[in-house]
Amino acid sequence: MNEAQDRMIERVRETLRTTPDAAPDPRAVGRLLNTVWESPRPSAWRRLLDAWRVPALSALGASAVAGFALFVGFLTRGALGERLEREPLSATGEFPVQPGATPVMQAAAFAGESAPVLTQFVLDRRDARSVSLVGDFNDWKGGSTPLTRLESGLWTVSVPLAPGRHVYAYLIDGTLVQADPRAPKSDDADYGREGSVVMVFAR
Amino acid sequence: MNDTPPGSSIDPTLPLRAKAGDRQAFAQLVDVMYPRSLRFALHMVGNREDAEEAVQDAFVRVWHNLGRFRDDARFEPWLFRILANRCRSLMEKRRRHAMVIQYGEVPERGGPPRTNDDRDWTEEIYRVLATLPVEQREAFLLRHVEDMAYEDIAAVTGVGLSALRMRVKRACDVLRARLSEVIRDE
Repeated sequence: MNEAQDRMIERVRETLRTTPDAAPDPRAVGRLLNTVWESPRPSAWRRLLDAWRVPALSALGASAVAGFALFVGFLTRGALGERLEREPLSATGEFPVQPGATPVMQAAAFAGESAPVLTQFVLDRRDARSVSLVGDFNDWKGGSTPLTRLESGLWTVSVPLAPGRHVYAYLIDGTLVQADPRAPKSDDADYGREGSVVMVFAR
Repeated sequence: MNDTPPGSSIDPTLPLRAKAGDRQAFAQLVDVMYPRSLRFALHMVGNREDAEEAVQDAFVRVWHNLGRFRDDARFEPWLFRILANRCRSLMEKRRRHAMVIQYGEVPERGGPPRTNDDRDWTEEIYRVLATLPVEQREAFLLRHVEDMAYEDIAAVTGVGLSALRMRVKRACDVLRARLSEVIRDE
């Protein structure tokens, strides 16, 4: 292998690593999470069969377990699985929405299929004279979504957001862009700004 | 070549918190791992729709099997093993479409638009990748695109280190040979 050939593999690697074809839809994560939360827990024998594919047991051990599960499944005709089915999230409303939760959690308020979800943003910057919210939902326009200062000194605003993943930041005193210290950081370099991620869940 | 990949991008407490039922931790795991998962699946199965389905299936399985995730294990090889299985199952299911490469519309995500030359080069790579045996494609992508150590790839594929090195070498040989022809023809 010569140096030129190594450069070839390096070029392939860079192309595949950076291809925009594999860029995720910004709303895909939110949709995927909805699917995960709503997915029924597999029946007991299905989970045992999954043990063959999901690594934790040796292949031999998993095969033995799967064989036993098939035998049990045959005897019970799925009766075990029916008892273990879990109610979907939409029925139980178990997703936590708590005071002081991060925006990711607050955004989990329930909504219609694609209806905007009212999402509250809170920032503790008592030294700021003005704060506004900038993000992909307002084209990063400073001043278009101002936060209100509460008596406690906290800044807050509620914004209707479409379900999906949004990147945002706070604009402090009209000049300083600051990510939300309580939210996951965005690694998107799309806008060259430090940003945070909020995931808005539809039902 | 150095076999040690860059450090994991995952906060190691996230899988454990998710295992304990913390949905926000799981959401963060998905958010961190989704782009790499989609990239791997897309290059494995060759079309966007199946890739998204494989990734979704994988994360559903991860969520329901987190109880079986060992506290001392690393999350990425575990996820990629489940994802690779989903990709293989989908490819088997849609084998009749195996030779059709249907990469999706190019999303607009900033950065300069690609030239025709870039597009042609990328599509040539896709074509050659699609001709590789599945096990070679999988090993090459995990090693050279996802930067995994051979030990982790062994955990993903269940294959020994020397066999894995041979798979990666063969994939590299084919890519070099075919893409060199393309460059000579230009």
